[in-house]
Amino acid sequence: MRGLGDWLYERMPINVAQLRELTNEPVPNHLKRWWFALGGTPAYLFVVQIITGILLAFYYQPAPATAYESVEYITNQAAFGWYLRSLHKWAATLMIAAVILHQMRVYFTGAYRRPRELNWVIGMALLCCTLLTGFTGYSLVFEQLSYWGATVAANISDAVPGIGGFAKQMLLGGDTYNERTLSRFYILHAAVLPTTIVLLVAVHILFIRLHGVTEFEFEDEPQDKPKHFNFFPDHMLTELMIGLVLMIVLSALATLLPATMGPKADPLTTPEVIKPEWFFYVSFRWLKLFSLTFAVISTGFIVAAMFLWPWIDAALRKLTGQQEISVYIGIVATFLLIGLTVWEAVVAH
Amino acid sequence: MTNEVTSDGQEPRRSFLGFSTFIMFSGLAAGYGTLAAFAGRFLFPNSVGRENWQFVATVEQLSLGSTLPFKTPSGAKIVVARQRDGNAADCFVALSSVCPHLGCAVHWEPQNERFFCPCHNGAFDATGQATAGPPAAAKQSLTKYPLRVENGLLFISLSSDSLA
Repeated sequence: MRGLGDWLYERMPINVAQLRELTNEPVPNHLKRWWFALGGTPAYLFVVQIITGILLAFYYQPAPATAYESVEYITNQAAFGWYLRSLHKWAATLMIAAVILHQMRVYFTGAYRRPRELNWVIGMALLCCTLLTGFTGYSLVFEQLSYWGATVAANISDAVPGIGGFAKQMLLGGDTYNERTLSRFYILHAAVLPTTIVLLVAVHILFIRLHGVTEFEFEDEPQDKPKHFNFFPDHMLTELMIGLVLMIVLSALATLLPATMGPKADPLTTPEVIKPEWFFYVSFRWLKLFSLTFAVISTGFIVAAMFLWPWIDAALRKLTGQQEISVYIGIVATFLLIGLTVWEAVVAH
Repeated sequence: MTNEVTSDGQEPRRSFLGFSTFIMFSGLAAGYGTLAAFAGRFLFPNSVGRENWQFVATVEQLSLGSTLPFKTPSGAKIVVARQRDGNAADCFVALSSVCPHLGCAVHWEPQNERFFCPCHNGAFDATGQATAGPPAAAKQSLTKYPLRVENGLLFISLSSDSLA
């Protein structure tokens, strides 16, 4: 065994003890609470997505004539295909939920404030990439709702002033949904967006390591105990435990509520009741409430404000003298988010 | 100092190396830039003019007030109607079944005498004018297809790129 270790060390001269010392960041005690460890959850689910996605790609055929049939084959004929597809679907749902919850936690604890503004911006970019990955993945099934969802989304992008027409053309590969559209969604979903996410996560973690985790103190924490614990093995074990719980939850959801298939896309008939995936209910309801131009421009402003929030928050605090102003704004925004989502969920039109 | 450097050939050599470096980096930037431009153009879809003129009906077949449901080769539904007497193309109208709001397919509701879009509750009257929902707010109407009359035959211009 020692001989093998020496052989490896000669070819790969990495000192494990030094490596551990280099990467063993002290972790503040509050990260023992699971809601502070929500950043690791989407990262874990992303790995699940990569593995199940690669497996599904062995059978998936991204063309209008074959896409639906290949998903049907995966679901109904390929061994464990239904299970892997369901894992992929539920991991996507939980990943989006976890990213949103993580972002809300960062927001409400003010962890984005100076000097961590840039990491908030990277987090926002990760949120956008995650939502786009969800959207493109949903479109690949080529069922009625995913087809019309993609059509609506492409036409929304068309309404963006200036670059809208270009964005629509690039997304659809033409003026309308055509024979080449699905392959675009596929390459975005399976290559471009995951690669972007990996790069962004790497920078996100680098920033966390450079600045350290924002430190919080709770009243019930004993004052005489150390305020930090080790990343290896303590925090790693917490993350592994969360991963194990996630696998159990995912497996249960995939078994009890497996991914189903709606009717095949019919480019000639829009279904009577059309809904996007749950994470776009807010935008869909917003589009019903206002004119297209207003809805698109206001959404653009909201997204831009979210990206620039650390600086807007700083300016607001300076102007009003209220240190917790972002919390009040956040509460209103959360209620609006939940309200519009529930409204869209409970009504047909 | 400058003269000394110039006299032993250091300055011209340094200038030459600086210039060469600039040229090399410009070449690299131009090369990779060209590749990026090719990639961008490759990704942007070709706007091939794949418009086809299809025969619809003879002009006599459409009397004033009558409509003709027309199906494209891919199955898309188009309503063709005569608007006034005459044999010119502008005497006729061909309404698309694609909602101008966000591209969903509208369908005719005979009981309400309107075209209805289920995506965002848009409604249009029989002439294609929006009467409710976001299209009405934006004063949109159903798209009209280009028509042409030749020797008493009515033709419609269709795109062969769309799935619908």
